[in-house]
Amino acid sequence: MRNCESIDLLLTPYVDGEIPSGERPAVEEHLRRCDPCRARVAAERAVRSLIQARRSALAADCAPPGLRDACARAAEAAAWSAVPAPATGWKRRLVPLALAASLVVAVAGAFLYQLTASSATILAAELAADHVKCFAINDVFDTHQSRTAVERSMAAGFGWPARLPPQPEAVGLELVGARPCLYGEGRAAHIMYRYHGRPVSLFMLPDTIRQDAVISVLGHECAIWSEGDRTFVMISREPRNDMRRIASFVHASLR
Amino acid sequence: MRIRRAPRPDAAARAPHDGKAGPAAAGPTSPHAAAFEAGVLGELDSLYRTALRLTRNQADAEDLVQDTVLRAFRASARFDPGSNLRAWLFTILHNAARNRVRDRARETVTADSDIVERAMDAPPPAAGNLETPESLLIREALAPDLRAAIDALPEAYREAVWLRDVEEFTYTEIAEMLSIPPGTVMSRISRGRRMLFDRLHHLSPVNA
Repeated sequence: MRNCESIDLLLTPYVDGEIPSGERPAVEEHLRRCDPCRARVAAERAVRSLIQARRSALAADCAPPGLRDACARAAEAAAWSAVPAPATGWKRRLVPLALAASLVVAVAGAFLYQLTASSATILAAELAADHVKCFAINDVFDTHQSRTAVERSMAAGFGWPARLPPQPEAVGLELVGARPCLYGEGRAAHIMYRYHGRPVSLFMLPDTIRQDAVISVLGHECAIWSEGDRTFVMISREPRNDMRRIASFVHASLR
Repeated sequence: MRIRRAPRPDAAARAPHDGKAGPAAAGPTSPHAAAFEAGVLGELDSLYRTALRLTRNQADAEDLVQDTVLRAFRASARFDPGSNLRAWLFTILHNAARNRVRDRARETVTADSDIVERAMDAPPPAAGNLETPESLLIREALAPDLRAAIDALPEAYREAVWLRDVEEFTYTEIAEMLSIPPGTVMSRISRGRRMLFDRLHHLSPVNA
């Protein structure tokens, strides 16, 4: 008879019915003579049967609807951000997307502010998704707002006495406009710029403090910083070094 | 320079992939991307309940699943459409969970060495129990007791038993998922089941 040690690794596959058929007689012979191994097999088998009998109850936990929405949004964001950028003319790229944008926005309303609270990457990914979508919409509506108009809407909408960089062109930025962002059910501000004709977003999240970071997510570079009790997130598809330079400029000249 | 990189970027940001290519690269409407997306979203319930067992906490489980889904989309270029999407997603879930544990430094990853395996060795059930079929001793245990007993297992055993007996992966799939040899998978399943037996056995009114 083979000893316990040599049979040890065959016992669990034996319980699971996955033992090579050639080995089965040796295991059964051993079990007839060895109480401890027989007890082990019986215990494992009892637990396996019990779990199988209770499997439907154990597996009854379903992903909460909010999580499902958030994951669907991540899927959308991945698909959108993966659309290849042409060498020139981001407008041309956005025009075909714009038709679909209204559909995307319709499902984008339910937002899981809470879920993203603990992860800078998830925050950045969610905002990158909104960055792509908001610019698609802006192209349709052809918004062009002045700096003072944007500052007024920040003060009125978010209680933020904003002073935007007075000379954004110094770093190659051109102001497009602002809108309340889908993120956090309208609790975040979204200020849109162009950088050499390509979209750059500045988000402001009130009552939020984050650690400074620069994160790559979904094909975008995201610079995060906090000032007082506001967190700012700047997002674009520019190279990281350009993004650092732009974000640094905005960080320094924004009030 | 006031913008700086965080000392410990989130685990997902460290994934060795630029996230710019993949099945989704063909655009939102490509059939590959659509099938990939549907496949991922179709596993959410499984991923969530497994994440619940790994974290034992609903908020952490939701965060872990969202992290897993983001990683999956970022890494979609590395997924071979002909291979097992479900096993691939669970691999990502496992790695995301391990990184989170490491990042938070709240727990150590247990039972990766033989020493720990041996230290955790439970004695076999007493030979005196052989008169009664073991299943009789625990078969009255209800799902909540069973779930609580599973949650009380050390993580390595909890994960192995769950993946095998609830999610019904093969030893080979689990071994690849956890990056451990198949023999270790089997010994963790075995040890985990025996620990469960001991706990449930003591809960049983006959034995209490």
